[in-house]
Amino acid sequence: MVAACCPPNPKDNPLMNIAKLSVAGLLLAAATLSHAEALLKVSAIPDEAPTELQRKFAPLGQYLEKELGMKVQFVPVSDYAAVVTALNADQIDMAWLGGFTFVQASQRGKVVPLVQREEDSRFTSKYIVNADSGISKLQQLKGKSFAFGSASSTSGHLMPRYFLQKQHIKPETFFKSVGYSGAHDATVAWVASGKVDAGVLNASVWDKLVEAGKVDQSKVKLLGTTPPYFDYNWTVRGSLDKKLQQKIQQAFLKLNAANPEHKAILDLQRASKFIPTKAANYKGIEAAAKEAGLLQ
Amino acid sequence: MLSASLHDPARASRLAGLIATPLLLLAAMVYTGFNPLLLAEGDTAGTLWRFVADFFPPSTDGAFLHDMLRETATTLAIASSGLALAVLIGLPLALLTSRALDRDTLCGEAPARGWQWLQRLLRGVLIVLRGVPDLVWALLLVRAAGLGSLPAVLALGLAYGGMLGKVYAEILESQPPQAAAALAASGASRLAIFGYALLPQAATELISYSVYRWECAIRASAVMGFVGAGGLGLLLDTSMRMLNGGEVGSLLLLFAALVALTEGVSRVSRAAIHSRAGGAGLAAGTLLLLTLSLLWLWPQWREAPFDVTGLWRFAQEFLRPTLRGDFLVQVGSGVLETLLVSALGSALAFIGGALLALPASNRGPRWLRAPVQLLLNFLRGTPDLLWGALAVLALGLGPAAGVLALAVHTSGVLGRLFAQTLENMPPDAEAALRHSGAGRLACLCYGLLPQALPQWIAYTLYRWENNIRIAAILGLVGAGGLGQQLYLALSLFQLSNAATLILAMLLLSWGVESFSRWLRQKLL
Repeated sequence: MVAACCPPNPKDNPLMNIAKLSVAGLLLAAATLSHAEALLKVSAIPDEAPTELQRKFAPLGQYLEKELGMKVQFVPVSDYAAVVTALNADQIDMAWLGGFTFVQASQRGKVVPLVQREEDSRFTSKYIVNADSGISKLQQLKGKSFAFGSASSTSGHLMPRYFLQKQHIKPETFFKSVGYSGAHDATVAWVASGKVDAGVLNASVWDKLVEAGKVDQSKVKLLGTTPPYFDYNWTVRGSLDKKLQQKIQQAFLKLNAANPEHKAILDLQRASKFIPTKAANYKGIEAAAKEAGLLQ
Repeated sequence: MLSASLHDPARASRLAGLIATPLLLLAAMVYTGFNPLLLAEGDTAGTLWRFVADFFPPSTDGAFLHDMLRETATTLAIASSGLALAVLIGLPLALLTSRALDRDTLCGEAPARGWQWLQRLLRGVLIVLRGVPDLVWALLLVRAAGLGSLPAVLALGLAYGGMLGKVYAEILESQPPQAAAALAASGASRLAIFGYALLPQAATELISYSVYRWECAIRASAVMGFVGAGGLGLLLDTSMRMLNGGEVGSLLLLFAALVALTEGVSRVSRAAIHSRAGGAGLAAGTLLLLTLSLLWLWPQWREAPFDVTGLWRFAQEFLRPTLRGDFLVQVGSGVLETLLVSALGSALAFIGGALLALPASNRGPRWLRAPVQLLLNFLRGTPDLLWGALAVLALGLGPAAGVLALAVHTSGVLGRLFAQTLENMPPDAEAALRHSGAGRLACLCYGLLPQALPQWIAYTLYRWENNIRIAAILGLVGAGGLGQQLYLALSLFQLSNAATLILAMLLLSWGVESFSRWLRQKLL
């Protein structure tokens, strides 16, 4: 009755104002979302120091900007699992994932692997040891301290753990203590300083550090190499525009070592060239993760 | 000869305690592998020394300093907005649960059943909020909803909200109840009783405690980055992992400056409450700080929006704790390790604190006082997690490093408290002994320590309750205990395992709290 005789002026109704504000907010949010297509947010698992990741990505980012005709932004992330979470939550569009993080991401949401480096189809890990320890065989590491990289790393944790188990070595009981350095270059620093007696890391990062003279050979010695396995790839979120997915894949495949500009990008990525990849390539990783008890 | 009645009636239990305590601590030492002699070994000392020597010169790299400034601003903003959120959570919960506002205590009315149950439930919520360490809240939120400063703010808000809720309620309960009772008798509502009777009485104490908590929040938010939740910890984590001494050196200097600055601001603010102008200034300052904080953080939050659906899915997976036998055994050994690390660390800190308190309170050579006080500030000002990382460098991975880190950090905390006890103690007993010709050592043993000891033990037990939570997270940097298991479970998305581990942490912290309360009543 009251409402009938004097209808409330929508302008004065605080509820109405709140409703309007929320609608405006939603529109704004929608606008930002659609706007997001013009910006490609890229991240990478932090398998090396953050400054190194940025350095590696810079020329590739510029190349992608030119090829895709859109802005490309690198989102630094400090933690492997967080990259998986962010990709599954559509907070980033594309990520450089390891084999294991890719399996985790595809278990927890829809993701599409686009390309891998040719080298990634036969990737290995290197066992290293502190030079003063006088150790020359894996079996001599019994009762010593040992460092993996990040717990979510394929080459720094999962595959070495899997291959150690094949040799009947259960890290938690075989070694005196097991630590997680968080990144491959950190593992080298840990072993060199004597913080741990031995460790294991990505072969490609090891080679790079050796080439750059960043490994003090009087302090760190190579102990052995694992059998080969599939590793890294570039993966996009499943909800990303299909055409854009193809454009990104083409851009990677076009990189040619004969072109000096491309060669600089490939060298920083430590790739001879990129090749298409598919989810089935990582079935072996998934099985290894289950066997090593890292995946349920 | 003494007659039987002159003997200490409690001597049997005292003697038992005197024998049992060292034995238990010795067992803890064996289990955790903590051997103080290791520190003196050439190898260990060499490794640590090389790293510490690297601190000098501190890094002055332009890009790094720029990052440092940016992350300092983020750290301050996280702490300030996190504390604001904690007040928003804690104050209403305190108003709902404080017995000082209950009509049954104020004017003897029979309380409603449902209301009592609601209060019990809310008290339970407060216990869970503060029982889970803030760093674990941050770890959970980062996993559930993505990176950045928003999880850090929420984590601080939740953990500190639980703490503020309890302390606010207790502050209200410690006020003289007459005014509140008079209002209650005339039928005033809960909020009115608070607003017109208790708030005027308790305002300065409430504000003063909140300001003190802000100081703690700064220290807490400085290490949030260790779990990917933004702020200075992010830089510290990277520099520590890469063993970049120069960068760690710069960060440590910055930390010391930040802690000194916030302690200064906190002291000035707490003094300012007592005058009208000071109060207004504090209010204006708080508003300004909060506005600036939100303005600073807002662009980051817009860039990486909080993933609500992720949070929901996370909660569903999380709320099914693993109860498999073999996993429980593994958790059990983690619980034991955490317990022993915290107990041994606190006990060693008791010794360290006592040794440092004597010179710090002017019982040693006069020239020693200022340097010892400086040392105490440094020991407690440096975050526990950082001590953990350093201890791992010295002693290697494992629980021994956790013991060392806790012992060092807590020595700083207890040393200061112990010195305060000594300074506040009536000098009569010591003076009487001295006048009757007793030596310095006798004065100390028979005049000073018997008076100080009960208070010292009480402080140590309180600190142990705190240290059990720290021991539970030291595993993040490789220093043993439940922390590493939790970090692994969350990294591998084994959420039900993580849930069990957090339950274990809660039980452990609740158990230690109860035991320590019982022990305090028994001893003091």
